[in-house]
Amino acid sequence: MSDPHDIPDDDMLAAEYVLRLLEGDALRAAEQRLANDAAFRSLVHDWEAHFAGLAADAQEIAPPAKAKAQVMERVAPSTRPRRRGFSLIAALALVAALAVVLLTPVLRGPASLEPAYEAALVSETGDLVITAGFVPDENLLILSRTTGTARPGRVIELWLIADGASTPVSLGVLPDAPEARLSLTPETSAALPGGTLAVSDEPPGGSNTGAPTGDVLAAAAVIEL
Amino acid sequence: MTSPADIEQLIARTAIKDRAAFSALYDATSAKLFGVCMLVLRNRAEAEEALQEVFIRVWHKADSYAVTGHSPMTWLITVARNLSIDRLRARKAQPATLDEAFDISDTRPGPEDTAIAGSEARRINNCLQELEPDRAGAVKGAYLNGDSYQDLAERYGVPLNTMRTWLRRSLAALRECMTR
Repeated sequence: MSDPHDIPDDDMLAAEYVLRLLEGDALRAAEQRLANDAAFRSLVHDWEAHFAGLAADAQEIAPPAKAKAQVMERVAPSTRPRRRGFSLIAALALVAALAVVLLTPVLRGPASLEPAYEAALVSETGDLVITAGFVPDENLLILSRTTGTARPGRVIELWLIADGASTPVSLGVLPDAPEARLSLTPETSAALPGGTLAVSDEPPGGSNTGAPTGDVLAAAAVIEL
Repeated sequence: MTSPADIEQLIARTAIKDRAAFSALYDATSAKLFGVCMLVLRNRAEAEEALQEVFIRVWHKADSYAVTGHSPMTWLITVARNLSIDRLRARKAQPATLDEAFDISDTRPGPEDTAIAGSEARRINNCLQELEPDRAGAVKGAYLNGDSYQDLAERYGVPLNTMRTWLRRSLAALRECMTR
């Protein structure tokens, strides 16, 4: 009556482990062996390789751009500590000195402008850090470039990719000064939450094609504070 | 098209925290791994979250890749599948919502996929076809859908011990086929 297939050998246990069919004590025992028993570990790896063939059939599906931005932010977080407040004293002091290419003129808003949303734009190597704070009530985007500059003879252009959109929309070229305030159209304001901001390297005056022409330097999701 | 050797290099550089290499690794493999997450989770929002967890784990565990002896895509796919199954099982306490019309049998590879899938995919699929459809379905159900012995026993309307025996026989047959 005893069926040889009823008595699990190590190879069978390894397969059941990979298939996540083991439970309770059997599972704990297998996990122990995985840590201590090189031969068992090797069997597990063999079955992992076999079964991975099933998942390898999966169709390739492009994930949304913001997924990468969020991953990169989590593995290479911005060097500035995140803070809920946003000191505008320095920003306001520099507004008058700015030479900014804007979609619309800079507004003089009230003294207290707390961003409700933020995007932390950090380049892959961390040599460029730009924080964007969005104040919905004022349709205002406050940009603070805390680390790095544009490449020599080039400019940094800001783009918005709205959630679900397939193409970026230019929000303008960043000034040389580290602080800037961009006044946004209502449509852009509405598209910011849940969207992704990105900065690209462009020739002076910005891209003339309506799309980024140079390297994308950083991208980040616009997240609610 | 990034070759397996290239991907292996990117994993090695990720292990020493080379962010540019990690970014390139993401670009080269995220579509495939997102596909794996979607295959298991069948829900776009969950798959997006799972994909992020996959790459976070890759970032932290890239140094353990070499120990496994896997080909690079096998390792990445295994991480993606394991994390997705974890999520799926956590979700199974709540009723499932099939967000996409994803059938477990709807796994036709795309034109670029065969290069990545390679011989392992062909081998296991050929070997599964040697099994009776129900037996193959049980193996796939366990691997891609996180089905437990209890789930499978209920699905096929047999006692738990019978399901165990059937599955172990299927595994033995697969082993024999794949080492032919």
